Amino acid sequence: MELPVLNETPAASAGGCSSHSCGTSDDQLGHLSDEIRAKVENHPCYSEDAHHYFARMHVAVAPACNIQCHYCNRKYDCANESRPGVVSELLTPDQAVKKTMAVAANIPQMTVLGIAGPGDPLANPERTFETFRRLSDEAPDIKLCVSTNGLALPDSVEELSKHNIDHVTITINCLDPEVGAKIYPWIFWENKRIHGIEGARILIEQQQKGLEMLVAKGILVKVNSVMIPGVNDQHLAEVSKTVKAKGAFLHNVMPLIAEAEHGTFYGVMGQRGPTQDELMDLQDACSGDMNMMRHCRQCRADAVGLLGEDRGDEFTLDKIEDMEIDYQAAMEKRKVIHEAIAEEMHSKRAAKEEAAAKHAAGKKLNTRPVLMAIATSGQGVINQHFGHAKEFLIYEASPDGVRFMSHRKTDLYCSGDDTCGDGESVLQRTIRALEGCEAVLCSKIGYEPWDMLEQAGIIPNGEHAMEPIEDAVMAVYKEMAAAGKLDEVKDDQRATA
Amino acid sequence: MALKIIDTCVNCYACEPLCPSKAIYKAEAYFLINPKKCTECVGDFDVPQCASICPIEGAILDAQGLAINPPGSLTGIPPEKMAEAMAELQAH
Repeated sequence: MELPVLNETPAASAGGCSSHSCGTSDDQLGHLSDEIRAKVENHPCYSEDAHHYFARMHVAVAPACNIQCHYCNRKYDCANESRPGVVSELLTPDQAVKKTMAVAANIPQMTVLGIAGPGDPLANPERTFETFRRLSDEAPDIKLCVSTNGLALPDSVEELSKHNIDHVTITINCLDPEVGAKIYPWIFWENKRIHGIEGARILIEQQQKGLEMLVAKGILVKVNSVMIPGVNDQHLAEVSKTVKAKGAFLHNVMPLIAEAEHGTFYGVMGQRGPTQDELMDLQDACSGDMNMMRHCRQCRADAVGLLGEDRGDEFTLDKIEDMEIDYQAAMEKRKVIHEAIAEEMHSKRAAKEEAAAKHAAGKKLNTRPVLMAIATSGQGVINQHFGHAKEFLIYEASPDGVRFMSHRKTDLYCSGDDTCGDGESVLQRTIRALEGCEAVLCSKIGYEPWDMLEQAGIIPNGEHAMEPIEDAVMAVYKEMAAAGKLDEVKDDQRATA
Repeated sequence: MALKIIDTCVNCYACEPLCPSKAIYKAEAYFLINPKKCTECVGDFDVPQCASICPIEGAILDAQGLAINPPGSLTGIPPEKMAEAMAELQAH
């Protein structure tokens, strides 16, 4: 995905919908209080439309970890908060501050700096807090966030509350130590390595205590969970309910990524990840209890740029060494650009609400919901060739309107050659990623994928190029309804009406 | 009486701040233990600290040259299963 080209004053909104929840009020942040909403609406990781306008970056300053997870191989970065099989360039706090300011000056959309690894940030308190301390002083317009496994969290809450910390993410995979023992083989605690259920019990206690302490301090908490079929999948709805009750504002359920070549316990032992359907069913089961985050792309811990892209190569250590940054001047420029973006986002949101009201006033259909996949490179319109799409946005159309469900990658952590996935072709893999969808909307599509999609029961559609996503999805839905394709109730129907 | 870090160390820094004798230092390629300073934590802790947090099996050796964390002891992956998976990958 390319960064949108931003002039000092962005062009006025073209109208129509931007990229989510058109025609319905239940967007991801809909249940939040105004105060929390104001805090996160410009955060690229939390708001589906903000990620088209704002960017985040992570700096790899925290190499040490204090626990072992079965989805992680410590020869690489953290496979949960970062990406499996990848080693990021470790930075000193000084290098991290320099890099952050260089990126912020050159990519004004960059509003959030995160520390997520490669180990556990709070197991490296000196490096992590030195970075936060300096950025709070030297670049006060950047929001800071941190991800942790929670083991050292209670001891860090006081220090975290002193900095410009926007929110903390805790990875909580379980509440039951017996489940935990199947995920965490050991922890390092009070100068000993503690294995099994006892280690998991301590970790869970610390996570829950840390969550409560952060909430008491008024610091926003997001909870990440890795969905591991047969291990914690049945347990995560309870996790969701509990963390919501304790005050976490968002729950992000992510699919396990496990391949033998990552050398992780789950990868080598053949533990499978969830299917797209299983993941969405669990997200739906949890969403009754709280806000679910549906557009996490499980980006790299050292990623730079808008969600789904990485411009890290432009800011390597040797390159930032040569950059002269006048941060005061940069901050003024950033302020002007941020205000212009906010104005554009608000006008798009207003247009979307108007479209939703119009839809609500119309005659209501009595048809089943349908999932559609969208090829887009951003801006809330259908503007990508099927074969160029590295990911699809999944929308659900129903009589209540159109809502954004999730992203699906076509090349999730795969080099894309023919040797992986038992010789499955890229096209076959793409079609498998679209499981459960009944239509795919793109700007153009070739003959071969057209035929294969039809055979898989997915209708290819290139007739809505450059149209706003929500409008096009609703138009296709109405065509399907008019053609009588939506009358029968399918077994795998998603209950949302 | 000293422990030793070998070249499978992944430079995660976890051990360095825990050493009560300040015997661990970052060398060019990976961390090393100064054998003159290392006490194996005797008198300070019940177990050697570096070997208790190190996540890499086989990376720290005892005075006899034996791995303190042998294959399978930290990841839970049976060594034969790991060998099987690696052979499988090599075959591709």
